[in-house]
Amino acid sequence: MMRLGFVGTGLLLSWLLLETSVIGQQPTVTPAAPATATDARTREQQRIEVLQRIAPSVVCVMASSGEGGGSGVLISADGLAVSNYHVTSGSGSFMKCGLNDGRVYDAVIVGIDPTGDVALIQLLGRTDFPVAIPGNSDLVQTGDEVLALGNPFLLASDFSPTVTYGIVSGVRRYQYPANTFLEYTDCIQIDASINPGNSGGPLFDIQGRWIGINGRASFEKRGRVNSGAAYAISVNQVLRFLDSLHCGLIVDHGRTEFTVETGENNTAIVSQVSQLSEARRRGLKPQAELLTFAGRPLTSANDFQNVLGTFPEGDRVPLTWRDNTGRHSATIRLIALHSFRKAPELPQERRRPNPDGEPDSEQKPEVEQLPEEIRRLYVERDGFCNFHYNQLRQNALLQPLKAQTRAASDPASVWILNLQIPLAAATSPAELAISPETVGLRLGQSAWLQKIAEPEPGEEPPAFPGLLTALGQLRRLFSTDASAFSEILAAGSTVHLPLNRTLKVLITRDGIRTARWYFEDSSPFPVAVDVSYSSELDEARLILDGWQSNSGLPAPGRIGVVSSSSEEITWLKVDSASIRKQ
Amino acid sequence: MTSVALNRAGRGNGDRIHIPQVVPMNIVGSPASRRQFLSTAGCLLAAGNASFSLATQDETSKQSIQPAADPRQLVVKLFGAGVGSLDSYGTGIIVSPQGHVLTIANHLVSTGFLTAVTADGRRWPVETVATSTEHDAAIVRIQARPEDVFPFLDLQQAVDAEPGTPVLAWSNMFRVAAGNEPVSVVHGVIAASVPLEASQGRWKFPVKTPVWILDAITNNSGAGGGLVVDESGRAVGMIGREIRHARSRIWVNYAVPLTALRPVVAAMIEGRRITPSATAADSAPLISDRELTGRFGLTMLPSVIERTPAWVDAVTPDSPAARAGIRRGDLILLIGDAVITSVTDVRRQITAAVPGRELSVTVNRQNELTALKLAVPPARK
Repeated sequence: MMRLGFVGTGLLLSWLLLETSVIGQQPTVTPAAPATATDARTREQQRIEVLQRIAPSVVCVMASSGEGGGSGVLISADGLAVSNYHVTSGSGSFMKCGLNDGRVYDAVIVGIDPTGDVALIQLLGRTDFPVAIPGNSDLVQTGDEVLALGNPFLLASDFSPTVTYGIVSGVRRYQYPANTFLEYTDCIQIDASINPGNSGGPLFDIQGRWIGINGRASFEKRGRVNSGAAYAISVNQVLRFLDSLHCGLIVDHGRTEFTVETGENNTAIVSQVSQLSEARRRGLKPQAELLTFAGRPLTSANDFQNVLGTFPEGDRVPLTWRDNTGRHSATIRLIALHSFRKAPELPQERRRPNPDGEPDSEQKPEVEQLPEEIRRLYVERDGFCNFHYNQLRQNALLQPLKAQTRAASDPASVWILNLQIPLAAATSPAELAISPETVGLRLGQSAWLQKIAEPEPGEEPPAFPGLLTALGQLRRLFSTDASAFSEILAAGSTVHLPLNRTLKVLITRDGIRTARWYFEDSSPFPVAVDVSYSSELDEARLILDGWQSNSGLPAPGRIGVVSSSSEEITWLKVDSASIRKQ
Repeated sequence: MTSVALNRAGRGNGDRIHIPQVVPMNIVGSPASRRQFLSTAGCLLAAGNASFSLATQDETSKQSIQPAADPRQLVVKLFGAGVGSLDSYGTGIIVSPQGHVLTIANHLVSTGFLTAVTADGRRWPVETVATSTEHDAAIVRIQARPEDVFPFLDLQQAVDAEPGTPVLAWSNMFRVAAGNEPVSVVHGVIAASVPLEASQGRWKFPVKTPVWILDAITNNSGAGGGLVVDESGRAVGMIGREIRHARSRIWVNYAVPLTALRPVVAAMIEGRRITPSATAADSAPLISDRELTGRFGLTMLPSVIERTPAWVDAVTPDSPAARAGIRRGDLILLIGDAVITSVTDVRRQITAAVPGRELSVTVNRQNELTALKLAVPPARK
């Protein structure tokens, strides 16, 4: 307990010194120096008001047994809260959460991002939880004042969070996995006191905008207490993963199928490119200088790792590079880093601490019996953190769609779409016929026919490779047959390229064919689909625009085919669509 | 040092701690400097891609070389040899346009093999120029081409500060900024100005003049040699070691005032020899060469000059030294945490060794560092 006393006193002392020194300071030649006591009091008053505003959103997260704990922050009125994976790991599926109103709420695990050390939980029992408002962590700069809120040493028995103050010591820091899979990329380094129990708690800027999740600190000779170097996961990274977490997933981070090393004069140089990779197909070769990745300029391999680490698996990101033939740009899809099928174990030292930082006893606490309406919020399933939330999203996406596609899903029906296809200077009429078994395209004297169950990549129209396979998947999506796909899962949201809009994602698998369907809230129909059907070929990427119902067959007014080599869209106009009975 | 996860247990007008620049000598107080001051402070290298143009002699005559404006351009990251609790990284302050770097006189400097990374991300080999154990300071020099000119801190512009002064401390702590990223900054206040009684193992903190005690955790791994500036950006101190107070055993965060280092830095740059003061010498009689050979089986090079390097001349077979794996030709660099710069240092450390304990001995063998364990045999009756 000596140590706790010391920490508390030290903090108080520094505040006093800071205040008195500012008040006592004579104005200097420095233009930017805080000058007067009035300024200091104004700032203090502002700080107090900010803290009153943000403190209600700070969560004390405890295992159901009430022992051990960390922090979190509420982000939605229905109780969604962000914390660290290493806080919720080992707490079980349900936990207890305290707010500064002094009340304890039940909470359920929703989704986890083990690599990024982020967990999403939902507090239960209210629809008007106070929430933190996110800022833009890309704009945070070294020197910014910050406030860290949380529950260090589990000091607050009434759950009112402890506040520590500091500055940003560095931005865009990379922290190695350090004997685990927890990797902090592009994180914010702060000198505010961060101690055991702060984990998962929010970092705010001095205006009270939520900019990060405090989770990690440099410790060495002095034990597991504040050392003046702590790290917060940036809120922008958290937000990029948030909707996937909300789908109850074990969200994975992305990786590329090429490697990068630091070159001379602050450059990032491509060292190896996998043979069968999308990057190789786009022309990326070893020795190329990678200029930007996901829009960020690069000056080192660290920079690259930093940016890459903030993206989930499956996102499509743009990149630019320079080689001896000039400057190039493309987009690539990130592939899975770890592919965890279940929540991975953390080393004992990284989880389940008690307030003094000692590893706690091995005995399993007694779990209280929760009411049925809470217990049904958790559904265990391999590959998911909490399948209940995935089911919710699947239903939200698929039920409105199925309500529109009853007639079109009749197994005896064939869809006929009359198209105008731009070829060379003119457009040519073409006819698409989509049955439950086959997709055919007739264009002038040429015709292509594709079996939906066993498509042959060689049977695709050369101008639009994958078009027939992708439309075959659309037919299956409209089907009422539950076995149309081997797997369906909701996969959060992503920024669709080239539409450049954030859209909800539903993934379907059918043999080796994986389709990503993109939805927006205003329409029950998918606005785009990317279908992967061969590891050696580019995805078929379609934009499905202007959906309308044509005597029972909903069809897009035009189909955009995205060229992966140029990212340009070729529009196939749908003149008419109809159902023909077989 | 990597960090570990803790146990559970659109920006508009946001306030920002003003990151001051170190005021350039030639343009103090001029309106131009103030404008530059504000603009740079407002957009301090948010992307972390610190870059600055190095004036070359083609463009600029030596007379107009100006000390650098941004503290982090003055601070270099040092990387070298470390073992056990001795870090392989540190910090230094550029104090001349030729690339002289001020740092603390620790194992990094004495073992050599140093690399410096300047704020622009460039890596440089570094040579040791001089050390002053009495001031716990060292000057190393970036081995640059003659035409390379570095942004530097003019020590003549360093000022003294009072307790209560808010300060910022810049350093390579914990090797957080491992690549070409800028160094870390922490904020604090000068809490006191006092002579420091502190020690690190058997090593006693040698500086007798008062140092500043800081209320921030500045003295972290690798932070020694970092730069402390006041809120006007004036350089005031050099971050010291990771060290505990001699009596309370509490870790002390301190900085040595740059005004106190100014004369010794000038002397070291000029290559003048810094004589250790008489009080630093240990008064206890040292173990004799004969006893070192007889009891430990360790024969060092004869100590013909004051700073005879600690080369091992012979090892008696089946002796404690032989069992430890020490070999003829090894250069002893460290015993425990103490830096060994001479045969006399070896005798001093071994004199103090407790029989029955193990001493960690780090040697340079064919340019590789090897850590060995030497069992201390019983003392002779």
